Amino acid sequence: MRGLLVGLLLAVAPAATAAQTPDPGAIVDAHILPGYRTLAARAAELDRAAEADCDPSSATLRQAYGDAFDAWVRVSHLRFGPSEEHDRAFALAFWPDPRGAGPRTLAGFLQEGGAEVADLAAFRDVSVAARGFYALERLLHDPDLRAAAAGDDARVCALIRLVAADIAQVSAALLVAWVDGHSDLMRGAGDNDVYRSRDEALRQLFTALSTGLEFTSAVRLGRPLGTFDRPRPQRAEAWRSERSLRHVRLSLEATRDLARHLSAGDAALDAAFARAIERVDRLDDPRFAGVATPQGRVRVEAVQRAVNEIRAQIAGELGPRLGISAGFNALDGD
Amino acid sequence: MTRLTLAAGALALAAAPAALAAPPDRSAVVETYADIAAAKYADSLASAERLQAAVDALISAPSAQALEAAKDAWVAARVPYQQSEVYRFGNAIVDDWEGKVNAWPLDEGLIDYVAPAHGFAEGENDLAQLNVVATPAFTLSGQEVDAAEITAALLQDVLHEADGVEANVATGYHAIEFLLWGQDLNGHGPGAGTRPWTDYAQGPDCTGGNCDRRAEYLRAATDLLVSDLAWMTAQWAEDGAARAAVTEDPSSGLLAMLTGMGSLSYGEQAGERMRLGLMLNDPEEEHDCFSDNTHNSHYYDGLGVRNVYLGRYVGIDGRVVSGPSLSDLVAAADPALDAELQGDLAATMAALGDIKTAAEAGFAYDMMLERGNAEGEALIMGGVTALIEQTRGIERAAEVLGLQALEVEGSDSLDDPEAVFQ
Repeated sequence: MRGLLVGLLLAVAPAATAAQTPDPGAIVDAHILPGYRTLAARAAELDRAAEADCDPSSATLRQAYGDAFDAWVRVSHLRFGPSEEHDRAFALAFWPDPRGAGPRTLAGFLQEGGAEVADLAAFRDVSVAARGFYALERLLHDPDLRAAAAGDDARVCALIRLVAADIAQVSAALLVAWVDGHSDLMRGAGDNDVYRSRDEALRQLFTALSTGLEFTSAVRLGRPLGTFDRPRPQRAEAWRSERSLRHVRLSLEATRDLARHLSAGDAALDAAFARAIERVDRLDDPRFAGVATPQGRVRVEAVQRAVNEIRAQIAGELGPRLGISAGFNALDGD
Repeated sequence: MTRLTLAAGALALAAAPAALAAPPDRSAVVETYADIAAAKYADSLASAERLQAAVDALISAPSAQALEAAKDAWVAARVPYQQSEVYRFGNAIVDDWEGKVNAWPLDEGLIDYVAPAHGFAEGENDLAQLNVVATPAFTLSGQEVDAAEITAALLQDVLHEADGVEANVATGYHAIEFLLWGQDLNGHGPGAGTRPWTDYAQGPDCTGGNCDRRAEYLRAATDLLVSDLAWMTAQWAEDGAARAAVTEDPSSGLLAMLTGMGSLSYGEQAGERMRLGLMLNDPEEEHDCFSDNTHNSHYYDGLGVRNVYLGRYVGIDGRVVSGPSLSDLVAAADPALDAELQGDLAATMAALGDIKTAAEAGFAYDMMLERGNAEGEALIMGGVTALIEQTRGIERAAEVLGLQALEVEGSDSLDDPEAVFQ
């Protein structure tokens, strides 16, 4: 009886494994392309909104900025291929910026104008710190920075329009590069030199999943937490527009979707995401100002712990089950 | 005789196309790795002692020549140390320690006088303008600090990473570099920092103020560098803990080797140190920004990665340390992959060599970083692209050696993501 059972299990096991091996092409269609389509559409709307009304306090413009930024955060874990070519991801989202390169460069443009901000073609050559969503956040939500223009509202307006148009252009280029190139590389994994096997394509997706969660834990949450003696609320992501907590939730939703695809709907892993998201929803602290108080800090730490539990499951269970482990990522190093 | 052997080899290949070279013992490969580490840190220590002697000479008899001699000694000391950086990632003992000797980037205003700074990094570092050379007493995180005497303890226990800020770099090569060269205020123009030797002149010739305290700082930082390197050299000696960590379990030793190669190539060198500076067009994003020695820093980092793969290091006295290598192991499993990765590593050295050649001919690294400088961008991106390419090969080598299947301890990997090839 026992022998029979083992024989049966052996016979069944390979088929079950094959059915559970995720298909990179399906993940491209269900997870990656929809994300980039939404980003390109929202970024185009942002560009139109800035053209229609560039007043930094315009509700329409701020809403369009928020919608496009949301769409970016939902693909922000996909740091490979088109997002790394031509520095596109950095041009959309250079953060953190501990040396203040972004606001310093923007202040220079607001004070002096210059050839760099004469038109979009020239602007695309400037420091990535002065481009993208974090630059636009400063222009919309940081009156101290806008003061560098010394009341020249036309200069502020022109810069807002430039940054928005650049975001739209980079987002459109990202989508094109996926649709016309990288999608086929992932679908045809095994037949090209970028992905020499399906496992290599899966390793790339697995690396994106684990790196995205590492970034949320160590940077989105870790930077404002600082240390117990020295919390750093001003280091929270996009705190001026009160988006810090929102980004944690959006990134968890996006990585949860990718994890579902990679894990064939593993219920335990999905439950770990649900627990982390629930803790986010109980945290009424949009910009992590609470890290400065012991009670507030404990609750942000609880979110971080929940994210780390997801990471442990992914590294310790999902990876070995798929027979892959994450490759190197940009967070390796300091 | 040689011809005969070759012919026999060709015959053997023809007869058995599937036959592969026997792989070396994995424990012999990690022994080579540990031997090369021991040699690199011993060379780093010896050249830091020469720097220490040059600094002593500068302080006891300040002159333009003495300052130049100390700078030369610093540049020479970087050659073996940069080749050791590949040991940083993957070896917890090195990673926990390296911030003391090679932390970067730094807010140098913590240490000494600097040009007036630009703002906008609010909430980041309250001590960015402390200038401890000019400040014998100050408040740090609510505590009064007595800095009347500048000692090794003050540097490493109080100032280094003060207030939990990594940019507060009070010790190591880059602190010493700043004290020897001063700030490079040339922006994207040619030229390094131009600190006058009189910053160390005692008495009425002193420039920059507090020359006695500046000399005290330089001496303390150099002495610390020497003692820190002596400690690390001991970790790789026959009974050293770092050696034991990689040799006791050869598979985890191999994993450390590949982790170091990949993490340095990709996240650190291609990303943090090269591409970022280019994207920001910021000369302060240069790795050795005071001395304009960045081209060498990058070159010897790249060489260190190749040393690990080929199992061969040429020391500062010309001696060669070599033995069974990762390359031998990979070749035994997949000769085509080994040939490809060797080619990738050689291509990286050629690309980093192009940067070094141009820089030594006068096209300094900070000039290459300037916005719109197409030639500089092409040189730097050539290095970045080659480093990214070799990272793919390193990942494939790990897979061929069956190392990705190693069990990853969840919490360890999360506390120290660099420590494992997770």
